Amino acid sequence: MRLSSWTYARRVSQSFCLAVFLWLFLQTEYRGVDQLAYPVSLLFRIDPLAALADLLAPGPFSWQILWPALVVVLLTMLLGRFFCGWICPLGTTLDGLGKLVGRGRKPFSPGWRRVKYYLLIVTATATLFGVQLLGLFDPLAIFLRSLTLAVYPAYNYGLNRVFDVFYEYEVPLLSSAIKGSYPVFRDHLMAFYQPIFTLGLFTLIIFLVILLLERVEQRFWCKNLCPLGGLLGICSRYALLQRTPQKLCADCQLCDSFCRSAAVRDAGHMRSECLLCMDCSGFCPEERVRFGLRTGTDNNLAVDLQRRGVLTAMAGGVMLAPVVRIGPVTHEQNPYLIRPPGAQPEEEFLQRCVRCAECMKVCIGRALQPALFEAGPVGLWTPLVVSRIGYCEYNCTLCGQVCPTGAIAPLKLPEKQKNVIGLAVIKKDRCLPFAKGVECLVCEEHCPTGKKAIVMEEKDTLVDGEIRRIKFPRVVDRLCIGCGICETRCPVEGASAVRIINEGESRRQRSGVPAGPYG
Amino acid sequence: MMNRIDRRTFIRQSIRTAVAVSAAGCLPALDLLALPAHAASMPPLAVRKGQDVPVLVRETLSALGGMANFVKSGDIVVVKPNIGWDRTVEMAANTHPEVVKTLVLLCLEAGAKQVRIFDRPCNDERRCYTQSGIRAAVEQIKSDRVSLEYMDRRAYKELAIHGGQAFDRWEFYMPAIEADRLINVPIAKHHSISRLTLGMKNLMGVIGGNRGRLHHKIAESLSDIASVIHPDLTVIDATRILVANGPQGGRSEDVRITETLIASPDIVAADAYATTLFNLKPEDVSTIVAAARRGLGVMDLRQMRMV
Repeated sequence: MRLSSWTYARRVSQSFCLAVFLWLFLQTEYRGVDQLAYPVSLLFRIDPLAALADLLAPGPFSWQILWPALVVVLLTMLLGRFFCGWICPLGTTLDGLGKLVGRGRKPFSPGWRRVKYYLLIVTATATLFGVQLLGLFDPLAIFLRSLTLAVYPAYNYGLNRVFDVFYEYEVPLLSSAIKGSYPVFRDHLMAFYQPIFTLGLFTLIIFLVILLLERVEQRFWCKNLCPLGGLLGICSRYALLQRTPQKLCADCQLCDSFCRSAAVRDAGHMRSECLLCMDCSGFCPEERVRFGLRTGTDNNLAVDLQRRGVLTAMAGGVMLAPVVRIGPVTHEQNPYLIRPPGAQPEEEFLQRCVRCAECMKVCIGRALQPALFEAGPVGLWTPLVVSRIGYCEYNCTLCGQVCPTGAIAPLKLPEKQKNVIGLAVIKKDRCLPFAKGVECLVCEEHCPTGKKAIVMEEKDTLVDGEIRRIKFPRVVDRLCIGCGICETRCPVEGASAVRIINEGESRRQRSGVPAGPYG
Repeated sequence: MMNRIDRRTFIRQSIRTAVAVSAAGCLPALDLLALPAHAASMPPLAVRKGQDVPVLVRETLSALGGMANFVKSGDIVVVKPNIGWDRTVEMAANTHPEVVKTLVLLCLEAGAKQVRIFDRPCNDERRCYTQSGIRAAVEQIKSDRVSLEYMDRRAYKELAIHGGQAFDRWEFYMPAIEADRLINVPIAKHHSISRLTLGMKNLMGVIGGNRGRLHHKIAESLSDIASVIHPDLTVIDATRILVANGPQGGRSEDVRITETLIASPDIVAADAYATTLFNLKPEDVSTIVAAARRGLGVMDLRQMRMV
């Protein structure tokens, strides 16, 4: 297949954008300075769906952060879905790996195209009514989430094992070369700590399914399911960039079998479906295909969304809001639902969070983990502080810095250190001094609040029939911020003897209670 | 030819010996027999005061006969400061960076082939190394013989602790054990269970495993650790000390400026003397008592040679 210079340009753009996003991904980590040096969440600042979530959430729209998304929308109105063909890292991944997994060539039912619009309508309407699920289907969120929660941890694990083998066994020539390259990898291309995530496998499976759909049809996801594609498709309806010829030529019809989004039909060109990959300008044997400014008759072929379908989707979106609220309020029901410091009140948090996993990537203490149902039916992939796995580092403010939609507000360090995310509770049936009469102070030792929120108090106690003087830990409620280092470091095996609950969290709106958990 | 004994005699003799030994062990007085085993009698101890930290370090070391007494040309030296916490210098949670830097310089001057600096912190390593000021101080040296390293997770090895009272084995960081010289550079701080954290507790930074478990029997555990790792020199940084909310601190109210440095090849002697800065006696700190009993060093302040 002959490739035009436009195709090469697109491939360069795709590779370049993917490289930039991957590089920013690697920079989404603490590198010795408290303030991140790069706009690591750029991917979501150019994301119109993230902008939509922010727009529909309470409070003013964050112009300063999300203006690039509006630029993308404006450019789409002029050019069409260039984003899908030239920039989107998920699209690039599918294009790049499609050959590997095998590409379906049989045309799939064209009716499926509508699904992405319906998905957009359902999620957007639901968002309007307070249940934001855009992030679940946002391709950029899917991309970064899969990378953060599954691909990157697996990559790190694999590489580490390779280095370990050559560390343990001396292989002539190979060992010294591989050992020599280790510092470069460790410092620049790998995570400092092996990342561990609870939903790693689950997230990977979803990513693989999207990838394997390539076997059904090329760019199946983009063509049929992607709500961002749907949004950009709607925006490009009146785009000025036009492909000529607009219809399949009677003598050739190559476009019909080669176009990755099957956008060229007998009746016209489906502008909202064309990904502007520009391949047709290369493979056309007659070199007829041109892209230029729209002139003359417009043979745009819009996808027939069918009024019934649109209405059903809207109704579905409206219905979602009351349906997901049937159950009890989750953060009151689940005391272990701990959100990162600076998180908005739960309701607003869920409306803002696009489940992009940036905060989980950057979390220095590995405290942030994706939720499955812990945060309720619509809390999937939202960040939870799971203190038994990792704790919230006292002097760190990184999660607020990377959050693209303000679900986690960026806090200055002094504010963050006063932000209560929970409260430590000592389980006397597990805690060594209480349960076994054995001395232990690890929780107190690690407690980071200058004046310690866990204090040791000496008391006489009966152990094995004799009275001993033992020190017992006690949590000082008004000093505890719930960082969870006590739970992480508790030396009791298995379930920790001290656990963080969300009592007294700063973000919860209360009436008649002065600032601070207990004033 | 050896005098052969039959099985019965062997068993009888063994039982007798065992009974005799355990009977002797029951007498509390005899516990003292376990005192100085490999502790040198009258270990030298240098204590100096001064505001200029580099000068203070050099004076203290020259009192002990200079670094050349401890580091020989071509040695691989490990300097083990306390870099345990994500705290700044003023908070007195980590060893003073200037103390670390000057000691490293002294090692280089003594001809060390390589000086490695590391600790296993409680907070994020990267943050601790930076926040403590130790990274910046070490980088100022600009020598390829000096490296501030993150500890390599692969270099821990489980070793047997012979005669261990709390544990019979534990994971140790081999680069610290295999180095030609180990210089232990703790900071003197308050601690809720061991009362003070000094030289012996600082050795917890070169072991692996679930370190929280050591606190159940802190005195025995630290002695077990100290019976495996023998620092050649312990320099206790008491330029400023933390008197409450230790070992992590975080409030300037809890910091006292004491401008003191204590150094001795005997870890127990150095720890014992450091208790006096907190108006305590060596006997008040159970880890020191346990270590002296195990023969790991001298805790009696009169049994030290002040230099």
